[in-house]
Amino acid sequence: MVQAVAVIYMWVVTLFGTLSASGFAIFLAIDLLSFALVAYVYTHEKWGEVVNRVWIVAGSVGLVILLLSSLYFS
Amino acid sequence: MNPFYWLGALTVVAFLIQGVSGMIMMLYYIPSPSDAFASTQYLFQTVYFGRFLETVHLYTAYAMIMLAFMHMMRGYFVSVQKKPREMMWVVGMVMGFVTLGFGFTGYLLPWTVVSKSATDVGIGMISSLPSVLSSAILFLIVGAGGDATELLRFYDLHVVVLPAVLLVLLTLKMYMLEVHGIAEPSAGQPADARKARGLPIFPDVTFYLLGLAAMFGSAMLLISAVFPLSLPPEYTPQLAAQFTPQPDWYFLWIYQILKISVFEGAGLPVALSLVTLIFVALLILPFLDRSQTRKIRDRPTYVTLGLIFVAELIVLAYWGLASPGQIIGTEEAVLVLGGTAILVAVISRVAYRFLSGRGGAHAVPKTKGALRTAVGFVSLLAGGTIGIGWSLNSLVRLVVIGPSFSNVFELILSCGLLMAVVPLTVLFLYRLESRNGSLKQRFRILEIGSGNS
Repeated sequence: MVQAVAVIYMWVVTLFGTLSASGFAIFLAIDLLSFALVAYVYTHEKWGEVVNRVWIVAGSVGLVILLLSSLYFS
Repeated sequence: MNPFYWLGALTVVAFLIQGVSGMIMMLYYIPSPSDAFASTQYLFQTVYFGRFLETVHLYTAYAMIMLAFMHMMRGYFVSVQKKPREMMWVVGMVMGFVTLGFGFTGYLLPWTVVSKSATDVGIGMISSLPSVLSSAILFLIVGAGGDATELLRFYDLHVVVLPAVLLVLLTLKMYMLEVHGIAEPSAGQPADARKARGLPIFPDVTFYLLGLAAMFGSAMLLISAVFPLSLPPEYTPQLAAQFTPQPDWYFLWIYQILKISVFEGAGLPVALSLVTLIFVALLILPFLDRSQTRKIRDRPTYVTLGLIFVAELIVLAYWGLASPGQIIGTEEAVLVLGGTAILVAVISRVAYRFLSGRGGAHAVPKTKGALRTAVGFVSLLAGGTIGIGWSLNSLVRLVVIGPSFSNVFELILSCGLLMAVVPLTVLFLYRLESRNGSLKQRFRILEIGSGNS
């Protein structure tokens, strides 16, 4: 969901020509980071390994920080 | 998720990002001395996201070199080069040289005073090699047409020859990986590991790798956004005359060796031979270290040599960065480099003795969690770098300014930090090795093609 929102928002602001390079980098980073979290949970659950909550919390906090900073940069 | 086991894969990811960003940059770049800088400047100032693209290209190149080096050193410490994977090591080393070649050739292309001056120094060094060898290399990379041919040859090497060579070597290495499999953990069960059922490359391994690649990519994007590049002035002979050339960080250690006074003038071929010897020794390492054991606790000499190698590289690079163009006295170089080697060797031996007294690797509690491993690795790397840099700085100040309470105190503190970092590094490596359970799991993942037996 975060991925979808990030990508749609990124293309919308690009359409209006207002996206800076920093804003683009942040939205793409949000997209990639959320994909990394999805891949992490998917693979670990499939392999029967413990999904470390630290990674999930750290990733989510990172996403929130990036989303907030995007308000400034975009 | 332990990034240590995926350093090679991340290096390939960095190469792919390089390829994509480089191909877009090729649309704008003109490889001629009169237009190279102007086209780079156009990309920087006019093209939408051009500066950002150039920044991503450069930072990913740095990351690729660093990841390749870490991949090599990790392989060295856990002895992946042992039989039957000797040729995998050799191919990997050649890939490392090609990666450095990318750095050397790509550095010239913007045609700035920084890049052209540093490249001229490199070419000057090649000229001091034996005439047959230097003529052959110079014919290959410079040609006879002056700046125009030089830039064109560097461009061709950077965008055609080196990528093609790297792709061929990568294919060869992947084939060898398929034949021999991933090196099992040193205290593992090779036979069982080979028989273990491998996870399918799709979707399991693919998703895992894509997740890591996504994390790496987002880090590169954010670093590029926060620290965008600035373009140095265009190269002109007049401006170059006022400029002290300095290579990029990954060649600083060679630069610093060449600045030692004994290697000045007639001694230059000796210095170049020494550097070549280091590269050759790394290349043929599997044939030098013939022992069968792969356990870190049974290889104190090679582990200590590896630690000394890393410490010397950091010292030389930092020193080279801190003293651009300054000739280093031979005695000073012997003191600093010899002192670093002795210090690291003594601390490593003491750490080995201490650990073996406690029962070796078996006495070390198992580390849980990849986060701890990653944090530990970054902390040790940062601690070691700061320790070496700080102690070197204090030592130079002590020699130049003279002894004072603050200088001596700073030196003691920095050496203390360094003495703490080295045994901790040995302990860290022990702990990594002791995580066999987790390692086996990881290595099974890549047992692709081993079937369901």
